[in-house]
Amino acid sequence: MTLIFEAVRRLNASFPPAPWLILVILFLPFPLLAANQYQIHLINVIFINIMLATGLNIVKGFCGQVTVGHVGLYAIGAYTSALVCIHFGVSFWIALPTAIIVTGLAGIIIGIPSFRLEGAYLALATLGLGESVRIFISATEFLGATFGISNIPYPEIGGIVFDLPSKIYYIIMPISLLGIFISVNILRSGIGRAFKAVRDDPVSAATSGVAVRKYKLIAFVFSAMYAGCAGSLYAHLVTYIHPDNFTILIMVTLLLMVVLGGLGHVGGSIIGAILVTLIYELTRPYPEYQMLVFGMAAVLIVIYMPKGIGGLIDRFLSTRKFIRLREDKADAAAD
Amino acid sequence: MLVDLVMIGLSIGMIYGLVALGISLIYSGLDIVHFAHGEMYMFGAFIGMTVYTQLNLLYPFTFVVALLGTALMGIVIERVFYRRLTAGGGGYTVAGMGIIICGFGMALFLQNLAYVIWDPTPKPFPVDFGRAIVIGDIYYPRVYLWIVIMAVALMVVLNVFLRHTKLGLAIRAMARNKDIAFLMGINVPLMISLTFGVACALAAAAGVLIGPINHVEIYMGYLILIKGFAAAVVGGFGSLPGAVVGGVIVGVAESLGAGYLSGNYKDIYAFLILIFVLMVRPSGLFSVETKLKA
Repeated sequence: MTLIFEAVRRLNASFPPAPWLILVILFLPFPLLAANQYQIHLINVIFINIMLATGLNIVKGFCGQVTVGHVGLYAIGAYTSALVCIHFGVSFWIALPTAIIVTGLAGIIIGIPSFRLEGAYLALATLGLGESVRIFISATEFLGATFGISNIPYPEIGGIVFDLPSKIYYIIMPISLLGIFISVNILRSGIGRAFKAVRDDPVSAATSGVAVRKYKLIAFVFSAMYAGCAGSLYAHLVTYIHPDNFTILIMVTLLLMVVLGGLGHVGGSIIGAILVTLIYELTRPYPEYQMLVFGMAAVLIVIYMPKGIGGLIDRFLSTRKFIRLREDKADAAAD
Repeated sequence: MLVDLVMIGLSIGMIYGLVALGISLIYSGLDIVHFAHGEMYMFGAFIGMTVYTQLNLLYPFTFVVALLGTALMGIVIERVFYRRLTAGGGGYTVAGMGIIICGFGMALFLQNLAYVIWDPTPKPFPVDFGRAIVIGDIYYPRVYLWIVIMAVALMVVLNVFLRHTKLGLAIRAMARNKDIAFLMGINVPLMISLTFGVACALAAAAGVLIGPINHVEIYMGYLILIKGFAAAVVGGFGSLPGAVVGGVIVGVAESLGAGYLSGNYKDIYAFLILIFVLMVRPSGLFSVETKLKA
């Protein structure tokens, strides 16, 4: 086990994307193992939610900005991609970058309030912006109003149409892993350290030469781009989008993913996304009890497990390291 | 047309004012922003509707029962859940992300609790207030008049309670500084519960008042939350007179917007006001000392 870890670490040092490429290859045969299309659909939804949670974690966990408007960005991504495809007849491969860019621009708008506001005020402003998006969509005829947009084309490459969950899996899975890869590397770089400085103390970050506003905006734009990408993938996966896909319920589910996984912990938010999506899908037949449990879970996690699963993992790892150190010392003393 | 719209906007604004009053009261007293306050409003309306239709009580009695019931519920929720979170730092502090997520989770929980108890179909709350008042060509349904009278009465009672009673003085002392209030012999935990209960009762009052106009449904709490926030922010978060004035401003603006611009986007106007005020003047009309950077 340790040998494998060591090998991965060495590979990572010499060629960072390598472990991720291996991961992509490991995930490739999944559609062959799944029993039916529904299971693969589930996996696709999990990958999309991982993208959303990773994006939300950048701004919320690493930059410490309380945003509740993320679902609005998700909606913008999905609608942009769908509308560009339907009205201009372009392919998915143009619609996806368009959606990412448009959502990134919208992220600037959601991010600007963070210059002057923090905490609950910022939550209010972003809630207002995110919710305006949904209400605007459901009241505008051009955007499908309350009927939603249907017949969104499937992605295709040179005549191959990705019309089944088992096919579109090969688009969603690599993009999602690429997203995690980029996120991990950003957070490891100077930008990531600047985010953490802004989160822990904006004033001392500013005195240490971190351009607080710039990095807040960068965090918002990055997370918006993740949301836009996830939205676009979602639109082309289910081919039908409706304003009800982007309600505050979804926002709380998203929050739950990040909080359960642990704020500011990339691995944790992935675990959170997987768990919450699975529970969400398995309890779908009982929507009222499902949300009852989700709401209570969010409350109880915040109270009793504020660091989430990521915090538990970190604690486990650090304890193990500590125990090993002690053992080494004891061995040295015995010699 | 203009007078009609302003009159109706004023009445609806009173509803927003009541909710905003509760939000401001909680914020100034407990230093937390309560994101599940819309659900208190929803529960108030539901309790009122159930009592009114099942027990056939008179409307004023319904009102009292709904207020007490919701206040009790709010006190229990605060005591069991929020206090664990806010007491973490050795007392009530401006809790950050935790309380916001906790509030959203609680809102979801309460909404679906209502789903389980009363199913999600909108329920009528049939109260007969008599014919509408017609003066010249102004048409003013009597239920709106009721709202204004009851809301103003509640606001006056709250003001008298806070300004001229000993209990009110204790609450104001607690809002000012919890440690010193505690040293002066004020039962701070009790005052916190009381403040929370009063705030929830105000939201319930708004719910019972709006019930006869709209149907009562489990999703009603969510929009009112943001409108209440908009009202509270316009007036200055934490300022009680500001909450009422803000509520009226938001109500009238929304009514005029719906009448002259477009009825489809009615719900967005409050959001726009909220965002505009937050960006331009976060301290609101009655600029209050903000506890957060704003």
